[in-house]
Formats: sequence, structure tokens, C-alpha cells
Amino acid sequence: MTTTADMTEARGGGRLVVDGLEKHYRLDGAEVPVVKGVSFTIEPGTFTSLLGPSGCGKTTTLRCVAGLETSDGGVISLDGRVLSTGSEHVSPDKRDVGMVFQNYAIWPHMSVFANAVFPLQVSAGKLPKKQARQRAMEALELVQLDAYAHRPATALSGGQQQRLALARALAHRPRLLLLDEPLSNLDAKLRDTMRNELRSLQQRLGITALYVTHDQSEALSMSDRVAVMNGGRIVQEAAPKELYFAPADRFVADFVGRVNLIPAVVRDRDANGDALVEAFGTKLVTPCPAGSGTGAEVTVTIRPESVRWHEASVDRPNLLAARVARVEFLGEIVEYEAEIVHEQTTVGRIVARGAPMDSPAEGSSVFLELAPQACRVLAA
Amino acid sequence: MSRAERATRAGRTRPTTMTVATVVAGTVIFLLLAIPLAVQVITAFRGPFLPFGVSSARWSVDNFATLWGLREDFWAVLGSTAAFVGGSTVLSLLMAFGLAWITVRTDAPFRRVISLLVIVPFIVPPIVKAQAYLLMLSPESGVLNQLIHLVPGMADVTIDPYSFPTMIVIQSLTNVTFPFLMIVPILTGMDGSLEESARVSGAGWGQTLRRVTLPMLWPGLLGVTVLTFILGLGSLEVPLLFGQESGKSIFALKLWTLISAGAGELPQYGLAAAWGCVFLVITTIAFVIYLRATRDAERRASISGKGFRPTTMKLGGWRIPVLLAVVVFTMLTAVLPLFALFWSAITPYPLAFSFEALRTQTQFGAFGEVLADGEFWASLGRTLIIAGGSATIACGAATVLAYGIARARATGWTRSMDLFASSSVAIPAVIAGFAMFLTFMVINPVIPLAGTIAALVIAYSYRVSIAYRAGFSATLQIRKELEEAALISGASRLEGFRRIVAPLLAPTVFAVWIQMFILGTNEFTLPAFLATPESRPLSVYMYAMINPRSAQLYAPDQGAAMALIFTLLVFAIGYGLQWLVSLRAIGRASRRGRVVASATDALGAAAAAVEATDDPDATDTRSVATEQVRELSRR
Repeated sequence: MTTTADMTEARGGGRLVVDGLEKHYRLDGAEVPVVKGVSFTIEPGTFTSLLGPSGCGKTTTLRCVAGLETSDGGVISLDGRVLSTGSEHVSPDKRDVGMVFQNYAIWPHMSVFANAVFPLQVSAGKLPKKQARQRAMEALELVQLDAYAHRPATALSGGQQQRLALARALAHRPRLLLLDEPLSNLDAKLRDTMRNELRSLQQRLGITALYVTHDQSEALSMSDRVAVMNGGRIVQEAAPKELYFAPADRFVADFVGRVNLIPAVVRDRDANGDALVEAFGTKLVTPCPAGSGTGAEVTVTIRPESVRWHEASVDRPNLLAARVARVEFLGEIVEYEAEIVHEQTTVGRIVARGAPMDSPAEGSSVFLELAPQACRVLAA
Repeated sequence: MSRAERATRAGRTRPTTMTVATVVAGTVIFLLLAIPLAVQVITAFRGPFLPFGVSSARWSVDNFATLWGLREDFWAVLGSTAAFVGGSTVLSLLMAFGLAWITVRTDAPFRRVISLLVIVPFIVPPIVKAQAYLLMLSPESGVLNQLIHLVPGMADVTIDPYSFPTMIVIQSLTNVTFPFLMIVPILTGMDGSLEESARVSGAGWGQTLRRVTLPMLWPGLLGVTVLTFILGLGSLEVPLLFGQESGKSIFALKLWTLISAGAGELPQYGLAAAWGCVFLVITTIAFVIYLRATRDAERRASISGKGFRPTTMKLGGWRIPVLLAVVVFTMLTAVLPLFALFWSAITPYPLAFSFEALRTQTQFGAFGEVLADGEFWASLGRTLIIAGGSATIACGAATVLAYGIARARATGWTRSMDLFASSSVAIPAVIAGFAMFLTFMVINPVIPLAGTIAALVIAYSYRVSIAYRAGFSATLQIRKELEEAALISGASRLEGFRRIVAPLLAPTVFAVWIQMFILGTNEFTLPAFLATPESRPLSVYMYAMINPRSAQLYAPDQGAAMALIFTLLVFAIGYGLQWLVSLRAIGRASRRGRVVASATDALGAAAAAVEATDDPDATDTRSVATEQVRELSRR
């Protein structure tokens, strides 16, 4: 793959540091904070996602990095070069970044080639004509659009426009690639394909990428690091697996994947150093929560797929008697909801998932096992 | 200081080129509209003649007192104006709605031809049309009266051209293209699924029309009504040609007579200005209604989804009556007027049509005389200069301002400028002409422009709102990300504007330019107030030839020949320009789909909208064309 080598030779990815970023919007005369002190660092050549519900400030953060919004506080720097302070801002065309927009922003009056070569014709990245042509074609080859170079850009399908947007963002070999929900307008199947293509391209080029999405599976599958945002703040920044199995708080646990949130009270500590908590009127063994003493109210979390079921009582810790209230067949898995029964009364519900071949019948009485190592205790 | 730092500093402290351009354009438009209106209002309160530089000028309410003193006259003018403008507005709306419905929503045969036939009179100057009606209705020689006499039992019936009802009908026929051009996109853009759900719920055609369709269209139609009303109020052509004889004093004519004083009297500018103020209040109220209506219309339009197509109504047995009605309409608006003009051009004096006369009396000398007339060519040249110059100024300033405002953060400033730049639709042409006339008189000692071609160029530019609204909505259609993508790609704001925004705006701007150019060549009301024999455009020269009062110039056969030649020329120029553009556009269209080709087609846009309903692939074409027409016709 000579092209890939060519694309990477000139410049590796940059190191992005965002420190204490603030952004307000004026709304009816009032200042509404949208981003409240966001800090993160992206190491060269890695892929970081900003994940969060709509309105959490993730896109605003990205646009501040791009320079399309002027931040109100904090410092953004790329490879040590300050792009933004609260008061001074390098304009977007001088930031040396590439960006893929949610709706692609392909210029409809230009051909595919003209779109891709544009960054190499304008002031910041101007190259001699021949070189510009060669580079643009390289970028199109990267996304397998070189055969379409002279088509009108609007004649491309959604997925192709997406790839063209990517080629255009990469053509001037920026230090940083910004992606604003680039896959959200594609249908489910294409989205999966593009996800893989995007990730492998980023790894081959070794470019630094900042990706914004509200889709947790996108964030988890593509990223080296994921920063979960809520209410204008980063609530947790971690590697995907850590994020999933060790969420920092209820919000992250609930937002990333599905989770059972079980209110509980810390009662004791056992010989192994594990905690004994009371939930559903039963004692459960869980990993010891940091910093909460006896009597503290906590939340025990467990992923639906970690819950196991037994037809009869077995000698395992954390076994709860339950009645299967609902079974939903989803194809590759079965999801079922069980009512936890304690002293003949329903005290709570647990959602569990399992293989479709092996699921309890609706209405049957079962025992659910919440394995201690699968549980996680969060502050209530 | 590093390069990055310098860039940072520059970005914050120095206003960008775009901002400067926006402010300049805004100022030009503000002065263009505000000064004449201010001068007119001041004149109303300062004495009987000019407000400055004459001894009689002083602050007073005398003019309004005079107006009130003559209140019988005042009420009479108000009444006949209301009847004339209101009646012709209602009539032309009914015709326009019917025709638009036939072309868009029914399976009537020859729909494309029909919509073209309705649109073509748009390029015939209203003064020519009015003159043609005068010829058609002449009691002795008019072709229409001749035709009526052929109808059994109506041999004694003669239409009196100077009766008030005739005037109303003629005014509505003269202006019918305008509401038609606006109603077609409203009908085309209607979400068919809303009607379909009514039908599915068990409502018949009639019920659906009454309970769903009309309520849905109502805000849009209200907007069209207001604009047609203001257009009718402002046009001088029909009142001038018919009103003087009919004895009815209509506002436009009243204003005109007040300022063209007889020998030995001073013209009553102050009183005329007071009249103007009264009618400005009326049109302002109408404008507010229009704003609310369009806002409602936009709100309702936003409900509609994509890819809808209104169902067409099967005419069945009604095909023949509908077609007959269309034929009668076309005869009245296109065929007979052109024939009457042609007949007048080839006969030496008013003569009833007969084959006998055709064989013995006709001569084609008038055409030769017109072509040999130096003044014809001079006024034609002036017409093109004035129309082209004003279209260029208005489109240039309006586009820059529209872009700036559409892209700026909404503040009180931008909102008021937006409203102001849209407001020239509320100014009737007679008032604009009179106010401009006063303004050039007032500033003449300092800037001697009165009666010059430059003054006319400035005055014609007052229709800037057409270009502003079109530019505004075209800018909104260019998604902001397209510009942001250019910035991120390393283009400066100016490069982004030049390479991304300008090419995308160009089709709209050019379409509006052609439309304003054609409007300019047709303009009669404004130059009637402003032009001198040295600066008069063709429309005024033509009027002089057909007006029996302009003794030495009176030559009706030449006037008619000139009208025909001129109409052909405007047609050729308008379509020639469009053809040139579409040649370029066709090259792109193969790349970009058919959007551009129809977007550049100002006149054909409505036709394109109609065609598109037959073509399942043309949703985009239609929506663009629809948007075009809707915006173009806001004036």
C-alpha cells in the first residue's frame, strides 16, 4: 500500500490537549453554559470519542476544537501550538485540522475530484497544480473513490458521499481529524461497514482522531479512549472495556449499554474483603465500594448479560428467587425481565439476557445469580 | 510575533471584509428606501410646494387640513380606489387561482401550454397591454366589440371601454400573471398526503377542498392577495389610459394629476404628499398582514414531508368547459391584444377590421418608420441601460446584504434591517415614483440628478426587496456546513465565499436579475414621474405616441408597431439571457441533476414546476423551482 505510506510519511498525528474548555451561548440575553470546563488529551495517532446524549456539549466541544465556535475559556493546543484561549482564537483555516460533518457537507456544484482537491488549492494548503492533483487522487484512492473522480459529487450515494467527505478531510494531511457523528445518516448495515473502514483507515494512517457520537456501540468499537459527557462535563474518560465494566457512576453505567441499577445498603465486610450489601431484602456479596462505610446507601449495578439463571436453587452466592414476567425474543439473544420475590412479595425487577436456545419460560419461577465479580457498587 | 499569533490578533480586532460589505450594502439599501419616504413625509408637512429651498416652505399641517377640507373628494377617491383596486384584485386572484389549479391539480390537456400562455404576458409592458385593451374595446373599431356583435342577439351590445366595471376587468387582466406566478408554487408545494388522509377519512373532493385544502392554502393566498393589492394600487397605466375619460378618480391618477399642474399653476406637491402618506398607512397595514400571512404559510409549509405529490383531479366531463374557459382567457389576455396592436400598426387611422380593409387599407410603413426613428433607438438604449443598471445595483446590494443577514446572529439590528430590506414591497409604485421625484428635486441644487438616467436607475432599484428575499432564502438553502467545510479545508472566509457560496447563489441571483431586468423594461409608472424627454425610456416614449394629447408625437400606428417590436425584443433578450445561462447550466446539469437548469429559469420556473408534477424523478427540480418562484414573486 504505497498510498498509505505516502499519506503518512509527511506528518504523523498530532497531540491534542484541551484544558478547561468553557463555552456559553447567549439565549434571550442570558448566558447559558454549554461546555463547563472540559479537559482531555489525545495522544498522537489515537482515536478518542466524545460520547453522550444530545445536548451534552460534545458537538460544541468538537466545534471549539475545529475553531468553528469560539470558546469562552480554557486552552486548546495541537502539538504544543495554542489554537484557542478564552480570548484569542486561530481561525479554522489556519488550524491544520480536517473535519467530516454529520451531513457530509459535500459541495454540490463540484465534481468528486474538485471536492477532494479543494483543500490543496486554497491559501492554507496550496500546492502546485500537479502535486495537488496527485495528492487528491491519493486521498480518493484511500476511500476507493478514485474511479468516480469526475462524477458530480451529488451523483454519489450516501455512503460514497461519506467517504468523499473523509477523503477531503484527509487530503491536506491534517494533524487532527475531527468527525461529527459522521455515520448517523447511514442505514444500519452501511454504518457497520463504514465503522470498520473508518477505524482501519485511521490506524493505517496513524492520524489522531476526535469522534463525536451519541451511539455507544460506535464509540466502544472504534475508540482507543472514550470520554462520556453529560451536562457539559466529561463524567468519565477511559478505554472502552473499562468504561463498560467499570463505569464511574450511575449515568455512565446507564448510558453505556444496558444495566440493572439496584438500590442497596452496605451492611458488613466479609473475610475476603468483599462487601456485604442488603438489596431486595437479601444479603449480596459485592466488590468493596471505595470510601463508603457501613450503612452507606449505594447502587449495585450488573449488566443484563452477566445475570445467570437456574431452574432450582444451587449453592452459589447472590442467588435471588424470581418469577419470569416477560420474555422477549430478539434474534441473537433473548431478553427477559424477572420479578424478584422476597417473602411472597415482589421487591424489584431485574433484566437479564441470554442465548436464545437457553431461556426460561414466561411465568416460570427461577433463581437468578448475580455473580459477585460481575457486580459493581456505585455511590447512590 | 508568530504567524499564528498574528492570525489570531487579526481575526479578533479587524472587521472582516464580509462584515464591511454587508454594512455597506445595508446602508445603500437603507438610504435608497428611507430618504425618498422621509422626503415625501416632510413635504406633506412643509408647505404646498417643495419642502426646502423655496420661500413657501414651513412646517404646517395645512396639506392635511386641505385634504380634510375637500373630504367629499377624499372619500370619493378612497371609495373608487377601493372598488377599483379591490375589485380587480379579487378578480385577478380568482382567475389566477383557477388557472393555477387547472395547470397544477387537474388532468386538463395542454397544461404546459396553458401555463406558458399565462406567463408570457408577463413580459408585455402593462402600458402596452392597457393600450391594446383600449384598441380592442374601441366602440367603432375595436375587435372585441366586433366579435361580440357577431354573437346572435348581441348586435346592439357594445362594451364601453370607459365604464368603471370595464376598467376593473382590464386592470385584473393586466395584472393576472403576477398572482398566477405566486399561486402555482403554493399549490405545487402543498403536501398531498394531508388531502389524501382527508379522503381516506371519508371526505369527498368538495369537503376536502373546503375543510383541508383551502384552510391549508389560506395564509399563502392571503399573502398573494396583499401583494396583488399593493401592485394594483401602485400601477398608473390603466387609471391613466382609462380613468381620465371615465371620470372616476383613482388614487394613482389623483397623485399624477396633482403634480402635473396646468399652465400658470404651481404643482401641489404638498397635497400630493399628504395623499401619499394616507395611502402609505394603508399599505403598511396591508404589509403587516402580509408578514403575518407569510410567517403562517412558512409554518404550515414546514409540516410537509418530502417526496409528496398532490393528487390530480380528474376533470372528466368538465374537460371541455374548462378548456373553453382557458381559450377565452387566452384570447382576452394574449391573442386579441396582440392582434389589436398589430391591426392598429398596419392601419393608418382607427378602422374596424374587415377583409375589405385588410386588402385595401393596410400598410406596413409604421414598422419601417419606427425602425428608422432615431428616438426609438435612443430610448430603447436608455431602457436597457436603466433596467440593466438598476437590476445590477439591486441584485448586488441585496444579495450581499441578504447573505450577511442570513448568516449573522439574529440581533435587533439584523431583524430590523431584514424587515426594512423586505419592505419595499409595501410601497406602491406611484408613491415610490413620486417620492423619488421629490427627492431628486430637493437634492438637485447639491446633486443635480433630477431627470437624468442615473435618477431613473436609482429609482428603479427601489424594488430591491424582490432580490433581497430571493437572496435571503437562497442563502438559507446553502447549509452552513458547506462554508464551514471550506474553512476547515484551509480556505479563508473570502475564498470560501468566492468558491462555495457565490457559485451556489449565482443561479438564484441571475434568475432574479433577469426578472428585475424585465420588470425594468416594462416599467412605466416610475419614469412617468421622473423622466424627461432626454432620459425617457421606451415605455414613456410609446405612451407619448399613443396619447392624443401629445400633439406633435401622436402617431398611434407607430406606437402600436413600437409596442410590438419592443415586446419581441424584451422576449428575445429575456429568453436569450436565460438560454445563455442554461447552456452553461446544461453542462453542469448533467453532473448536478436538473436542479440548476430550472433554477436559472426565472420565467419558466412556474412552468418547470408544472412539468415536474408529471415526472416522478423531479422532486428536487420541483422544490427548487417552487422555492424560486415563491421568492421571486414576493414584491
